[in-house]
Amino acid sequence: MPAQVGTATHCPYCALQCAMTVTAGAGSVRGDTGRHDDATIAGRDFPTNRGGLCRKGWSAADLLRHPDRLTAPLLRGPDGVLRESTWDTVLPLISQRVRSIQAEHGQDAVAVFGGGGLTNEKAYTLGKFARLALRTSRIDYNGRFCMSSAAAAGKRAFGVDRGLPFPLADLDDASVVLLLGSNAADTMPPFIQHLRGAQAAGGLIVVDPRRSATARLTGQGQGLHLQPTPGTDLALLLGLAHVVVAEGLEDRAFLASRTRGYEDAARELARWWPERVQAVTGVPAPLIRATARLLARGARSGTAGGPGAYILTGRGIEQHADGTDTTTAAINLALLLGLPGTAGNGYGTLTGQGNGQGGREHGQKADQLPGYRGITDPAARAHVASVWGVPEVAIPGPGLPAVELLASLGRPDGTRCLFVHGANVAVSAPDASAVIAGLESLDLLVVSDFFLSETAALADVVLPVLQWAEEEGTVTNLEGRVLRRRAAVTPPAGARSELWIMQELARLLEAPSVFSEDPETMFDELARASAGGPADYSGLDYAVLDGGSPAYWPYPTGSTGTPRLFLDTFAHSDGRAVLVPVTPRADSAAARIPAPLLLATGRLLEHYQSGTQTRRVPELLAARPGPRLDLHPATAQGLGIGQGDPVVITSAHGEAQATAHLTPDLRQDTVFLAFHFAGAGNANLLTGGPTDPVSGMPEFKTTPVRVTCRTARTRRDGQAQEVYA
Amino acid sequence: MTATGGFAAERIVIVGFGPVAARLLEHLEHLVTTGAVAVTVIGQEPEPAYNRVLVADVAVGRTREAAIRLADASALAALGVDVRLGARVTRVDRPFRRVLLDDGGSVDYDRLVLATGSRPVLPRLAGIDDALLPAGVSFLRDLADARALSSAMAADRRIVVLGGGILGIEAALAAAEEGARVTLVHSGRAPLERHLGDGARVLGAALARTGITVTGGASTGITLTDGRFSGLTLEGGLQVEGGALVIACGVRPRTELADGCDLNTAAGILVDHDLRALDTRDIWAIGDCAEVRCWDPSCAGCSGTTVPQGLIGPGWQQADQLGAAFTAELTGALPSAAAGPPDRRDPLLLLKARGVDAVTAGETDADPWSTEPGLDVAVWTDTGHGRYAKMVTRDGVLTGLVCVGMPRTGAELVLLFERGSELPADRSSLLRLDGVEGGAPALRPGPEATLCRCAGITRGAVEASVRAGCTTVQEVSAGTRAGTGCGGCHEDIRAAIEQHYAAAVAP
Repeated sequence: MPAQVGTATHCPYCALQCAMTVTAGAGSVRGDTGRHDDATIAGRDFPTNRGGLCRKGWSAADLLRHPDRLTAPLLRGPDGVLRESTWDTVLPLISQRVRSIQAEHGQDAVAVFGGGGLTNEKAYTLGKFARLALRTSRIDYNGRFCMSSAAAAGKRAFGVDRGLPFPLADLDDASVVLLLGSNAADTMPPFIQHLRGAQAAGGLIVVDPRRSATARLTGQGQGLHLQPTPGTDLALLLGLAHVVVAEGLEDRAFLASRTRGYEDAARELARWWPERVQAVTGVPAPLIRATARLLARGARSGTAGGPGAYILTGRGIEQHADGTDTTTAAINLALLLGLPGTAGNGYGTLTGQGNGQGGREHGQKADQLPGYRGITDPAARAHVASVWGVPEVAIPGPGLPAVELLASLGRPDGTRCLFVHGANVAVSAPDASAVIAGLESLDLLVVSDFFLSETAALADVVLPVLQWAEEEGTVTNLEGRVLRRRAAVTPPAGARSELWIMQELARLLEAPSVFSEDPETMFDELARASAGGPADYSGLDYAVLDGGSPAYWPYPTGSTGTPRLFLDTFAHSDGRAVLVPVTPRADSAAARIPAPLLLATGRLLEHYQSGTQTRRVPELLAARPGPRLDLHPATAQGLGIGQGDPVVITSAHGEAQATAHLTPDLRQDTVFLAFHFAGAGNANLLTGGPTDPVSGMPEFKTTPVRVTCRTARTRRDGQAQEVYA
Repeated sequence: MTATGGFAAERIVIVGFGPVAARLLEHLEHLVTTGAVAVTVIGQEPEPAYNRVLVADVAVGRTREAAIRLADASALAALGVDVRLGARVTRVDRPFRRVLLDDGGSVDYDRLVLATGSRPVLPRLAGIDDALLPAGVSFLRDLADARALSSAMAADRRIVVLGGGILGIEAALAAAEEGARVTLVHSGRAPLERHLGDGARVLGAALARTGITVTGGASTGITLTDGRFSGLTLEGGLQVEGGALVIACGVRPRTELADGCDLNTAAGILVDHDLRALDTRDIWAIGDCAEVRCWDPSCAGCSGTTVPQGLIGPGWQQADQLGAAFTAELTGALPSAAAGPPDRRDPLLLLKARGVDAVTAGETDADPWSTEPGLDVAVWTDTGHGRYAKMVTRDGVLTGLVCVGMPRTGAELVLLFERGSELPADRSSLLRLDGVEGGAPALRPGPEATLCRCAGITRGAVEASVRAGCTTVQEVSAGTRAGTGCGGCHEDIRAAIEQHYAAAVAP
C-alpha cells in the first residue's frame, strides 16, 4: 500500500471551519465492518483553531463510509415505498414533473430550500438554478433560522454584514469580551482559545440564562456572568447602554465623526436605568453597572492602543421574534463605546453553520442576488443578468422567507414542489409537525442528502450526494475568510455532486446560461457575479486560495482582500454607522403574567444541527443518545419531576418528550432542550409563532411551555428510552 | 385649524411635559405627521421632558442633563407639534373647550390630557414659608433643584436630607458616594420602616456603613445664617448643621387645574379605567396626577382604586394605554393590546443606589406565624452580614417581598413579583443566588468524570495513558485525544502526570 499524503482541508461542521488534514486510507467497502478506517483526521495549525478540533471534527470521517450512506437515487413507488432507482430514471422524471406542476400551478409552485452548510459554489449555483432553471422566485434557506437577525442588524447599522469584520486572532489581545447568547465552549470549542486574554484580565462577560460551559469560563474572577430571564436581552442591552451614556463613558469623538443617530438612540436609553432593567431582566443593577464600566474601560484601553474590548453576539440573543432589534441594541452599545471599525476594539456575530457566512452572500436568500446584493436593486439585477447572459426580466423578484415558504407548502396557490439541499427542515424548522404535514402534502419533494434524513424520508425522490471530503469547493468562515475545501477521498459509486445534479436538471429544463459540475468554473462565475457587490470575491480564484494567503472579502480584482472592515469608513453612502433606536415590544412572551416556564432550544457539544450526521457517529450518539430536558431542581421539585424521569413538554404548537436532567445551571424559570433529535424528542415540535418583522427569524429561545412527568408505569419498566429510538 | 386632506384635525392639548406626556407624544407622532391630529403640549419648565428618576444623579454630578432627556422639542416642532415650554396653564375653560395660559393666550382643544404630575410636599418647618425656599434648601424634583443642590454641594460638603423614604435615602446615598458628609433625618424608628419592617434596621446599618449619619426625630424648623440654610432643628432642640437641606418628604398629585374646573378629585384627578376624567367626554388624566377608580365590579383589569404612586412605570403604562386608544379611535384601526388597562401591580420600591441594595414590593407586613390559609411567609435575617429577605406568598404566588443586602436574590424576587410567579417550594434556593460561587468544595472527580470536554475523554482514560508511559501533555493528547480541542484541560493533564510520578517516587 503506498503511503497516503494528507489533504489539507476544513471541518464539515460549524463556522469556525477548523483546519484539518484528511488522510485517505486503504478504503473500505460500504457496510463492511462498521469501522471506517478508510480515512483519518488530524488537526492542522491555523489561526482560528490552532490545531484543535472538537470530538465532532475528530470523528467526522466515520460518516464517509457509513453503512447508512445513500449510493443510489431513491424513488417512491406507487406503493409508497422508497426504492433504489437510477439517475437516468429520476432526473428526467423530476424535470417532467416540474414542467407539469408549473404548467398547472404557475412558476412559483416550485420552490427551493437551501442550507448554510453548502459550499459557496453550491449556494451560488442553487440560487441561479432556482431563478433560471426552475424560473421561480421561491428560494430561501435554513440560514433564515440562524444568521438572519444578525445579518439584518449588521446591514442596518454598518451597510454590510460580515460576521466578524476582523480576524479571530484579534480577540487574543482583548482585555474585555462580551459574549451575548453564545455557548461557544460547546458549539465551537477551539474558539475559546481566543478568550484566554480576556479571562486573564478578568474581562470575559457572558450573558446567558444558563450557566453554560462558556458562562463557567467567567468563574474564579475571570469575568462576569449575567443571567437574564429569556427574551429580555434587549432591555438588558438598553440598560448597559444607559449606564454608558449616563456616566459619560461613551466615545464622543467616535460618535461625532463616524456615526449618526446618536441623539434619537440616547433619548430612548434615558428610559432604561439599571434598576428598571433589573425589574425586567432579573439581572442585579450593580452587575449592569459593573458590566458597562468594564466594557468602557476595555474600550478606552483599546482606543489607546492597549488590550481592547469586543462585543460578540450569538443565536441566544438573535433567534427571537425581536432578534434584529436585540442585535441592533448590541451594536448600538458597541457604537457608543466606539468599538466597530477600529483597530483594537470590535463588534461581531459568531456565525453558526459551516458556510453560514458564504451561504448568506451568494443568492440563496429570497431577497438576494450574488455578492450580497438586493434582488430589487435594478443595478444589481442588470449586473447579474449580464454575467448570466440573460435578460434582466429572466430573474424573478423577491420570494418568500423560510417560515412563510414552509407555511405555503401544499396550500392552494402555494408551493406544490420543493427541492431541499443541505437542510433537514422536518427537524430544524419551527413548528415541525406543521412543516412535516406540509412536506407530506406536496406533489413532489426532491431531497438531496447523503443520508436518509427525516426530510429525505418524506421525499418522492432522494438524490444521493457527496460529503465534504469528497469534493472540491470553498467556504467562507465566521471571519469572512474564504477557505478551500478539498477532495481527500473517493466518493462511493452512485453518489453525485449537487453541481452535477443541477447541471443535468438545468439541461433537461432547457435553462439558459452555464451550469457546470466543475466547482472551479462555478467559483469563477460567482467571483464575476459578485464584482462590485458588498461581498466582492472578484479578485479570488482557486489559484489565489491555494496559495494560502488569507483571503478576507471584500476581495475585489487587484486587491489583497480586507482582513479588517470599516477601518476607514462604514458601508453606508455617507460612510457612517447608524444607531437605530430600538425598544422592547410589549407583547413578548417574556412579558406575560403570570410568567410561564420558558423553553430555550440550542446545541450540544456532541451534536450538530438536526443530527443527521452526528447521530450516526457512534461515539457522539453514545455520549448524548437522546433528548434531555435541562431544568432547575427547584422547578423540578414543584413539578414532581425527579432526575431521569421521562417528561412531556407542551407548548401552543405541540408536545415533545424527553428525559429530565436536573441542574442548577439554569434559571428556575427556564428549561433547555437541544434541537438535534427527531421524532417525539424534536424540540421544534414546540417552537413556532410570529417571526421577526425585519429578518423573518422565528422565535427559538422564548417558548412558553408546560412540563409534566409521564406515567410512573413507563418509568418503572425502564422502557422510556424506547420512545426516542 | 384644518389639516391636509380637508377634514378638521382633532385638536389634542396635553398639559404638562414630563416623562408621561413625552411617552404619549411618541404614540401620537405619526398621527401628527399624517394630519389626523393637531397636538399642543404645554410644559411649565423651560426644558422638555427628562427622566425625573435620575435628577439626583444629575445633582451629585454622576450624570449630565443631556443624558436624561426624553424628548427633543425642536424635533417635535419639526414634526408639527406645537410645543410651549415655560408656559403655565392658569385655567381650563370647559364650556369653551380651551385652556388659558399665564401669558394671556389660550389654546382650543377637542381632547384635553392632563399630565400635570405631582409636586413635592413641604413639611411645616419654622423658617420656611410656602412662597419661597431659602438659599440652600431644595427639593430634588426637577433640574432646577438639581442645579441648586449641585452648587450648594460645591460650597459646603455637609448635606442634610430630610425624609427617610426611598427618595431621601437615594439622595443621601448619591451625595455620600460623591463625597458629601450626609445626615439623613427621618421621623420613624428606621428609614423605610413602613415598607421594610425588620429589614429597615438592616438597611439602617448599611447606610451607617456608607458614612451617612442617620438621625430619627421630628423636624421643627431651620436655621438661617446670612440668609442661607445652616441647620435643621429637631424636636427637643437637637440641631443638625449643614450647608444644604434636601427635602424629600414625598409628593402630592397636582390637581389644582382639575379642581379649578370642577373635575372630580380625591388624592388625584379621578379617572375611570379608560383614564377619562369622571363625568367628562373630552378630558383625560395620566401619570402622577391621575387616580384610577373603577366602579365596574366585573372589570378584570381593575381592582378598586389605584392611587398615584409617584412611580414612573405605571405612568408610562397609562401613556401607552391612552396613546393606543387615541390611535385606534382616530384612525379606525383595531385597538392594540396596549389599549386595554394594564395589569395593576402593587408598587415596587427599588432603592436606586450603589453599594446598598434594598427592594420591597407588595404586602410586606405579613406575620410569619400567621395561620391564614394559603398564606406563607419566609424570613431570612443575618444582621451580622447585613442581609435580610422576606417572601410573602398566597397560594404559592409571590405577593410581597423585602430584600436587603442580597442583590441577586432581590433582583430575582422583583422579577418573580412583577410576573406574578409562583415561588419554588424550596425558598432557600433563591437565597443561594447570593451564595458563594461554586457551592460545595469540589471533591476530586473519579475516573469516570470527563476531563477533556472537547474530545469527551475521561480522567480514567488520561490516567491510563500516563500509566502506559505518556510523560507530556502532547503524548497524552496523541494517545487519547484529550487536550486537542480548546486546550483548557492542559493543566489537568499536567496535574495527572505529576500526580502519577509523585506517587511513584513517594516512599
